[in-house]
Amino acid sequence: MSDEAIPAAGGAVGRRGRGGAGARRAARRGGPIQQLRAIERKIGLYEVLGEEGLELIEHNAETVLEEIGIDFRDDPETLALWKDAGADVQGERVRFPRGLCRSLIATAPRQFTQYARNPERNVEIGGKHLVFAPVYGPPFVRDLDQGRRYATLEDFRNFVKLVYQIPALHHSGGTLCEPVDVPVNKRHLDMVYSHMRWSDKPFMGSVTAPERAEDTVEMARLLFGAEFVDSHCVVISLINANSPMTFDDTMLGALKAYARAGQATVVTPFILAGAMAPVTAAGVLAQTLAEAMAGMALTQLVRPGAPVVFGSFASSMSMQSGAPTFGTPEPALVLYGAAQLARRLGVPFRSGGSLCASKVPDAQAAYESAQTLLPGVLGGVNFMLHSAGWLEGGLASSYEKLILDADQLGMMQVMAGGIDLSTDGQAMDALREVGPGKHFLGCAHTQAHFQTAFYRSTVADNNSFEQWEAEGGKDAAQRANTLWKKMLAEYEAPAIDPGVDEALGAFIAKKKESMPDAFA
Amino acid sequence: MADEDEIDLRSLGDQELVEQMWDDLYDGLADEVVEGTNILLERGWTPYDVLTKALVEGMRIVGIDFRDGILFVPEVLLAANSMKSGMFILRPLLAETGAPRMGKMVIGTVKGDIHDIGKNLVSMMMEGAGFEVIDIGINNPVESYLAALEEHKPDILGMSALLTTTMPYMKVVIDTLKEKGIRDDYIVMVGGAPLNEEFGRQVGADAYCRDAAVAVDMAKDLIQRRHNQRAPQ
Repeated sequence: MSDEAIPAAGGAVGRRGRGGAGARRAARRGGPIQQLRAIERKIGLYEVLGEEGLELIEHNAETVLEEIGIDFRDDPETLALWKDAGADVQGERVRFPRGLCRSLIATAPRQFTQYARNPERNVEIGGKHLVFAPVYGPPFVRDLDQGRRYATLEDFRNFVKLVYQIPALHHSGGTLCEPVDVPVNKRHLDMVYSHMRWSDKPFMGSVTAPERAEDTVEMARLLFGAEFVDSHCVVISLINANSPMTFDDTMLGALKAYARAGQATVVTPFILAGAMAPVTAAGVLAQTLAEAMAGMALTQLVRPGAPVVFGSFASSMSMQSGAPTFGTPEPALVLYGAAQLARRLGVPFRSGGSLCASKVPDAQAAYESAQTLLPGVLGGVNFMLHSAGWLEGGLASSYEKLILDADQLGMMQVMAGGIDLSTDGQAMDALREVGPGKHFLGCAHTQAHFQTAFYRSTVADNNSFEQWEAEGGKDAAQRANTLWKKMLAEYEAPAIDPGVDEALGAFIAKKKESMPDAFA
Repeated sequence: MADEDEIDLRSLGDQELVEQMWDDLYDGLADEVVEGTNILLERGWTPYDVLTKALVEGMRIVGIDFRDGILFVPEVLLAANSMKSGMFILRPLLAETGAPRMGKMVIGTVKGDIHDIGKNLVSMMMEGAGFEVIDIGINNPVESYLAALEEHKPDILGMSALLTTTMPYMKVVIDTLKEKGIRDDYIVMVGGAPLNEEFGRQVGADAYCRDAAVAVDMAKDLIQRRHNQRAPQ
């Protein structure tokens, strides 16, 4: 938009103007997407635990590791690694001397870069940075026209294309929805390819089997070059602990495959408090820290220096039904505390998202999502999965909610930028120019800044009642429905080297031919 | 666009020049609008044609894009200021030639109400559309309105209020006009955030205007209808 900077009111302008209505309409109705770089936080962090509390939780986590231990199921290699590292291995139960996991994690980077095929989209993960990534995992999709249905590969591609066009989503994410129309053993190839081909943002890898993780790395080598991949992080993947205090061979296999390749993992205890952890925040925090430290330490045993992120997914639950609940205060407290623990451990932190239990993009969805998004931003999350599109406790990816959430992410990005205290930001010239009893709309400072001064919502309607009614009296979800359809219609794929695209296609075809379809 | 920097308005044909003036109004280039206005007058255009075909039409385009959310308030302000620069030249000429006027409006916020941003926006848009606007400011008792009507003899009286506690005063003003038998001498338009159509009707106004752009459309429409009514006289 720099080409349409507005001169000071009444000031001299070039002999000819800026092209009148035609130029302004073209610039403001369309034009290239102005993507945003990941957030560099300039506001303070909100913390809920003091030094004493943090030490207490850390002490309790070490007690869990030392006294109770963690199960590593069906994975002799991992058990051997732990034995060599000095842990006490009894069957599949591993108990850790106090401080062992923490000292192993010291080789993990405090902050790292995940590279994208377009260098403009590289993201910093850790430190003051905050990366927004979309919803991950739902088997269903939902939109206003067709309702709730199983997701297909077409839905998956649609979500990749939409996320690609959303400036405040800095990351393409991973399992945007589960394309259940493609055989389970081949699905990951189409999913990873979709991220590589239809977006140029960084993405996540497959974790549903160790060989699928290796396929992901192999495809990344084709896209980025084998040498580059060995020395740079180009894929980040989600490894969940089977809370309480258990890791299974699927997750461990994927964790080791990625760590071995020098690629990033997010080790996340997935906790519905009350069922998979104690009901109290302090209990959830101690267990989360213990599980996460055990998983993160394992990455360092496989390859010291491999990037790894401390993840925390904590929800409360309805004790009447057992259903997970979102947007409640207790998980927010856990998030704030876990972020503090991650900072003390010296690793990046993943949590939060626009989480909700609502089935439709309604007031419940909005409130619940806001109540997890805001703690994530204020608490110091570095990598925020599920930041847009999540509905129904993660069972459905919503086209409309993706758009609604993304609008909020744009607002969070502005807020995290803090207050501009430059001379221009102080606006003393505007105060002097206008003085008492007049308005600021015409003053030079306003004329210079009005376009970018305030975040402009893509979905909020701020018009008069009469105009809103004349335009169909649409609610936010209906407006979002119009928007995502327009975005898909106007989508243009980012360019890709045809040789690379061909190599990816050949790899996928060969892999698919090598095995019969399997739906398990 | 470098070659366009050198455009000489005098080298343009009439139609091209008028279209360039629409762009210049849109872009808020007051000096260029003044120059274009002078050139058309030199070429023998009547002041009325310059007003309607170049300036008012240009502002009509601005109004459309304001309504559609393409233009921002500060940009419309610049465009309206450019329009006023052109009007400054035309107004005495229009008076001399006895050309039909767009219309004149007296506008002010009602007694007790000092909130005037909305009223200022309406003034700006009305002036941009070629109306002559006499802004009597804030906190006006009925006497101020009467004095302004007497002095300026406008076509339109505009009243604005932001507060539910001050908006009933609009009825006081209109009732006073009725008592004095001069209510039908004026088009009365009301606006402000807490108002709606029904309120406008209840206080006896001719129109409720939900925003500044609508106020201009309403004003044009009501003036047109009044002309039609009076034509047979």
